[in-house]
Amino acid sequence: MPKVAIIKYPGTNCEEETLYAVREISKLEGRIVWHSDFRAEDWDAIIIPGGFSYGDYGRAGLIASWSKASEEIRKAFEEGVPILGICNGFQILTEIGILPGSLLYNESARFIARWVRVRVHNPKGPWLSFVEDNEVLSMPIAHAEGRYYLNELREVTAGPWLEYLENPNGSVGSIAGVSSKDGNVLGLMPHPERASFPWQAPRPFEPGGRKIFESIGYSLRR
Amino acid sequence: MTLSKYEIEYAQKVLGRKLSKEELVLLEAEWSEHCSYKSTKEHLRKLKTRAPWVLVGPGRDAGAIKLFDDVALVARIESHNHPSAVDPYNGAATGVGGIVRDILSLGAKPVLLVDALYMGSLKTKHSKWLSSNIVRGISDYGNRLGIPTALGLTWFSKSYEKQPLVNVACVGITKPEKILPGIVRPGDPIILLGNTTGRDGFLGSSFASKPLDEKDLAAIQVGNPFIEKLIIDALLEAYSKDLISHVKDLGGGGLGTAVVETAAQNNVGVVVHLDRVHLREPDLEPFEILGSESQERMIVVPKEKTKLGELFEIFDKYELEYSVIGYFTRDRKVRMYFKGKVVVDLPVELAVSPPKVSREVAKPSPKPEKSLPENVDLREAILKVLSSPRVSCKDVVYEQYDWGVGGRTVLPPGYGDSAVIWLRDGTKRGFSAAVRGNPRYTKLDPFTGAALSMAEAYRRVAVVGAVPLAALDNINSGNPEKPEQHYYTVKMIEGLAYASEMLEVPIIGGNVSLYNEDERGSMIDPVTSVLVLGRVDDVSKALSTVPVGDSPLVLIGETRPELGGSELQEVLLGEASGRPPEFRPLEEKKIAKFAIEVCRRDLAYASHSISLGGIAVAVSKLAYKGRVGVTLDISKVCRCSPLQALFSESQARVLYEVKPDRINEFLALANEYGIKASIVGYTTKNEDTIRFLYNDKEVVSVDLEEISEALNSLKKVL
Repeated sequence: MPKVAIIKYPGTNCEEETLYAVREISKLEGRIVWHSDFRAEDWDAIIIPGGFSYGDYGRAGLIASWSKASEEIRKAFEEGVPILGICNGFQILTEIGILPGSLLYNESARFIARWVRVRVHNPKGPWLSFVEDNEVLSMPIAHAEGRYYLNELREVTAGPWLEYLENPNGSVGSIAGVSSKDGNVLGLMPHPERASFPWQAPRPFEPGGRKIFESIGYSLRR
Repeated sequence: MTLSKYEIEYAQKVLGRKLSKEELVLLEAEWSEHCSYKSTKEHLRKLKTRAPWVLVGPGRDAGAIKLFDDVALVARIESHNHPSAVDPYNGAATGVGGIVRDILSLGAKPVLLVDALYMGSLKTKHSKWLSSNIVRGISDYGNRLGIPTALGLTWFSKSYEKQPLVNVACVGITKPEKILPGIVRPGDPIILLGNTTGRDGFLGSSFASKPLDEKDLAAIQVGNPFIEKLIIDALLEAYSKDLISHVKDLGGGGLGTAVVETAAQNNVGVVVHLDRVHLREPDLEPFEILGSESQERMIVVPKEKTKLGELFEIFDKYELEYSVIGYFTRDRKVRMYFKGKVVVDLPVELAVSPPKVSREVAKPSPKPEKSLPENVDLREAILKVLSSPRVSCKDVVYEQYDWGVGGRTVLPPGYGDSAVIWLRDGTKRGFSAAVRGNPRYTKLDPFTGAALSMAEAYRRVAVVGAVPLAALDNINSGNPEKPEQHYYTVKMIEGLAYASEMLEVPIIGGNVSLYNEDERGSMIDPVTSVLVLGRVDDVSKALSTVPVGDSPLVLIGETRPELGGSELQEVLLGEASGRPPEFRPLEEKKIAKFAIEVCRRDLAYASHSISLGGIAVAVSKLAYKGRVGVTLDISKVCRCSPLQALFSESQARVLYEVKPDRINEFLALANEYGIKASIVGYTTKNEDTIRFLYNDKEVVSVDLEEISEALNSLKKVL
């Protein structure tokens, strides 16, 4: 069975529910791997889950990007291993430089946790294979540093990307998530693992994260 | 210093010698109200604490119940009132830190954080500063721990302008057989794990046991949530490998209290070398090391000495600091050394047994109920009540909390009458939690008010389909040395005792915060927060507060003209008077049983327990949340005036949006349970008005837009 690594840094806090979704929905073998033990060659896909790695000191994701895991993640990236960064994982991927842009403090200067809807554009790659173009997915966000910023938006909007229907944090272009051109690497601020089972979604929302876990399961087993 | 002259003389008489400075510090902490409960102990005995499913009752760091045969719930509630009044950000943050460590102390994984906040009017700069920083403190600390803050209560009143109340609770899960029994044996080593010991928070426990003083800033602890998160992860890893036999939080009173309480509970003695404690500043004096309340520290006792290496490996992986500071002994004495010199040498028994204090109570004279003005405009009254900060939507508060981490949250704040937490264990099982407290009720009638805190939380847990199993209480009141203030403390405990007996819900833990008075010596509005926990067999059936539309609205329970202590009264007259609504335990019990069955059979779309602001608030919130129109016939609510019908805060009532095709079954079920059910109106899709009728004639209608504006008024001031 294909194997998914869920990388844990000191302060990571969404690893267990992410693992649960990988096992129950993707139907893949998953394991939580301590960042310094992580080796690229052992895994078929990588998820960097949410949390506050190193307490978000300095800037969210900054200190984690100095971990020697970064070299391994880059190696996996170059070999075409699918990588998903959720929330803090997205922040780490931009700090490492695998995904473009940066995530700044929310416009409100406050932490925001709420259910949102995102529209998926140009879905492609192993994480979005079950998602239609322009499909709207509901998921919760929970972050203080989620305001996406990039000078040249065309760099990301040509490939797969996610757009907030109601911009909660002041992200440029209402960007909720971006991806590599081939869709192999996806980073997003909303939490798909909190929107994977029907009872996780209060009326009127649907568990929109489920499709992401279904997609990777299908893509890796194919 | 709060130790009285009499108490010092008593200790010296028992010992036959003078106390050392370090011993004074130790007794100061141990004999403080915060640690010893000396003013309330005899009254707390009246509480019902037993039931076949209670695994750990009051007395340990947390209580525990059997939720399912293979799942235990561990819970604790505590106040951080005094620190939050002086330094709201750190005070509230470290309140969260402490309560989480209490849950860890029983070997459980923390999965839910709860806060009950009673804050100022938001009309002064000071109360805004306090309120926004308390919320920010909980947000910054709690969010970093990966524990969802998915439940809370927020109250605003000028009584808390300078003296806010911050009650925090935490719930954890584990297997019943994995609960740490709290047992240590002579010879067991003591490891101090976590943060360095510094000068912050010196003797915070006795600071919380006297009225506030402006110069108390040094008694506030400063928190580091990142270290706390590492401690959580390290301990859970060590528990899973069965490496630990006992853990205790260093809370109020610091190191001294933690080792002495463990020794006392085990009938053993203890030796501590204060010079082995890892320090933040190298020049700390022994008495400071003993009484420091630096955060994120725990004492850990290993299960087997031969596996110490394995334990230290885990601590090293998380880069946590630790030191081996002493061991337990057979001789029932607490001895502490500093650089070879004995600085403390006391019998454990003496350290935990302050001389008895006698506290008097005096009943204050009741205030008669003031009458409401005549010809109140209904529309104006509705909008005024909805825009009261107590009634208004609290999303500006809870959206700052990570309510969803863990993936277990089924009803996020604002979507249900209580929090529903999924076990995420391959089943649909879970638990529910609700917290209530109404200072107006407890101020007018502390006995009934405290009972109603429990009744409301109990009802809210049942409304989402959970079976209420246990309660925890946090009493906040005045100076026990003043009889007319201590009266409230005693009456609130008695009210709780009565409610827990009548509702058959055991109280598995609690906290008493006294000396909440202002600089002039007057007491804040006393209040008891009650947290009720219940068992959920299927979280997917939990009923939310979001209606669907085009369905009948059914009111369950009896509405009486009870406006004493109501929101309407305060909004119109500026203060509460008269008597709060009656506590009717038999009706509450019937309604709870009925509500659980409604969920089990899936008969309704949405529900709202009726309390603050009466049915006027309940329908408005339903309409707002579901974006549906509502028609409500006031004359069907009760045979009283429209004002009474709309704003009465009669308890034991729930408003349901019933599935149209199940309405007959729903009404028959109510009949079967012997409770009153009246169809009082209906919801309408694609409409944006709430229409209030009286005998089928429209008396007032309010646009959803106005409702929404009123309900969002808190955002403008916080």
